[in-house]
Amino acid sequence: MILDAAVDGRAHRVEVTGGKGRYTVTIDGRAREVDWRRVGGPFVSLLVDGRSHDVGLEPRPGGYRVLWGSHDFAVDLLEPSRVDAVAPRRAPAGPVRLLAPMPGRIVRVLAEPGQEVEAGQGLVVMEAMKMENELRSPRAGRVVEVHARERQTVETGSLLVVVE
Amino acid sequence: MADRFNKILVANRGEIAVRVIRACREMGIASVAVFSEADRAARHVRLADEAWPIGPARAADSYLRIDRVIEAACASGAEAVHPGYGFLAENARFAQACEEAGLVFIGPRSETITLMGEKTSARRLAVAVGLPVVPGTLEPLADDAAIRQEAERIGFPLMLKAAAGGGGKGLRLVRSAADLVSAAARARSEAQSAFGDDRVYLEKALVRPRHVEIQVMADHHGNVVHLFERECSIQRRHQKVVEESPSPLLTPDLRARMGTLAVALVRKAGYVNAGTLEFLMDESREPYFLEMNTRLQVEHPVTELVTGVDLVKLQIRIAQAERLPFAQEDLVQRGHAIEGRIYAEDPDSGFLPSPGRILALRVPGGPGIRDDSGVEDGDEVPSHYDPLVSKLLAWGEDRASAIARMRRAVREYRVLGIKTTLPFLDRVLRHPDFVAGRIDTSFAERLGRDSPPEEDRPWPVAVAAAAISAFEQRRAARTPSAVPAASAWRREGRVESTGGRG
Repeated sequence: MILDAAVDGRAHRVEVTGGKGRYTVTIDGRAREVDWRRVGGPFVSLLVDGRSHDVGLEPRPGGYRVLWGSHDFAVDLLEPSRVDAVAPRRAPAGPVRLLAPMPGRIVRVLAEPGQEVEAGQGLVVMEAMKMENELRSPRAGRVVEVHARERQTVETGSLLVVVE
Repeated sequence: MADRFNKILVANRGEIAVRVIRACREMGIASVAVFSEADRAARHVRLADEAWPIGPARAADSYLRIDRVIEAACASGAEAVHPGYGFLAENARFAQACEEAGLVFIGPRSETITLMGEKTSARRLAVAVGLPVVPGTLEPLADDAAIRQEAERIGFPLMLKAAAGGGGKGLRLVRSAADLVSAAARARSEAQSAFGDDRVYLEKALVRPRHVEIQVMADHHGNVVHLFERECSIQRRHQKVVEESPSPLLTPDLRARMGTLAVALVRKAGYVNAGTLEFLMDESREPYFLEMNTRLQVEHPVTELVTGVDLVKLQIRIAQAERLPFAQEDLVQRGHAIEGRIYAEDPDSGFLPSPGRILALRVPGGPGIRDDSGVEDGDEVPSHYDPLVSKLLAWGEDRASAIARMRRAVREYRVLGIKTTLPFLDRVLRHPDFVAGRIDTSFAERLGRDSPPEEDRPWPVAVAAAAISAFEQRRAARTPSAVPAASAWRREGRVESTGGRG
């Protein structure tokens, strides 16, 4: 599963794979092996690279509140549209080409050449199957090419935006 | 006076009611709790032997109703009433009502509460025994001409305070003559509505003062002792958040001098039971008497940890007309104690109250830790009352080990469901100025203002924990038996994403 996470005012792209207590969590391209146990109520124990983390988890609108030691985090989670989830899975280094993850219509173009963007910032809004999907920048950087045009119909794999 | 109490009514709620009920249980005395409609299932109700309803949630209709508290005390057959702190604890009419109903008020006599409650009479008494007071007026002022004349004599900046004062009401810092008229008008009208008395007095404002207080205890037989000081300079909005004993600011000589003067004032006032003399200290460490609190203080456990004296039990014994079981020379401060107040407040949004249900609570333990809490797992923190949830204390052989222990305990403490001041306590305990003992009453404000961004926040762990939880939740929702609806965070997320797009 791929998620857009926001914490302390920064956006991160997160991928979770695995199951049954052992997961690989990749945050902005960096993978971590996580051993994860529920330990009663809202508390979980995490072992990450041999380090032990005793964490409290509380669901809140848009994500979770996470207590770690005396640190209090508000983590926002947003699942990008399912089809989007298969597209920008490349490592966020070097120029990144944002491709249309599905056939559909470009509703809005949110970026222009030369613009500085944050990781997770929306670049293009596509409509497919009567649903609008925001396609986000997989990395922070500068927009160098914009191929998408509003009201244009595109096929899967059409080049939309390049960020470097 | 009763020889020994069989039953005590505790006229309070929250952690202090729990504290007094525990003392009663240890002494073999039955305890009677009182509760408002909001507190039916509160911890103090559950721990007490008996519990009597005294009215609706609003404090004015329940915990502040003298008639209902007295009625509950008489109906339950209690012989004595412990008022805790706050609510009716410094209300002379309540103490008098207890006396008239034949109940022992566990505290000073009602006349002494009146004497000390009137701040200018307390100041005059202090001057009479040679206690230095903050320069200012010794008589209450009732008209603007007198206020102006005295203000010019004292000089600016100065503090305008309600003569009947307390709790920060009717309190104004006046920086210049130009602000005096409007500040006086507001202070007087606040004092009028809070205390029914609009007289004020003036005190010179000290620059970055320290707040140090002396605990005293007096029996009915003329024995008076002091139990040393508590340092209470870490305050936000004139309310204490971190207290400790000994104070890193006092020398042995100064401690002895302040203690001796405090005992002199207590003798002169004919004071009985527990009390606290508050002092301000200026940058030259010259102490000035501020006021006397005629009750148990919130931060009394700090003194208990360093002296080994159970102040609540001692209050009860003194109310039973027993003699103080020790003399001044028997008392020593052993090691160092720190208290941090855990309020249901959000330190990241200006200490806004954060009432609500406690989803989960994990309380630290281990060597040298004490948690005086009014709540447990699943309890509601009502919005009607003071947001103090618990007091966490650490004792260590010296100040450094007490700080280290306190930091350890703060990190172990977990409260889910509401926001608390725990992250703020951690910031105080880690601050180099606090560690070095460089503290004054503006410390907490400065901490909030120029606190550097934390670089060591383990945010990837937080993100991983949240993401795995979301992942597992979706997987659970996908199993054939589960309802196929999107989980709450996904629904919320979608609302946000659609909203943000428009």
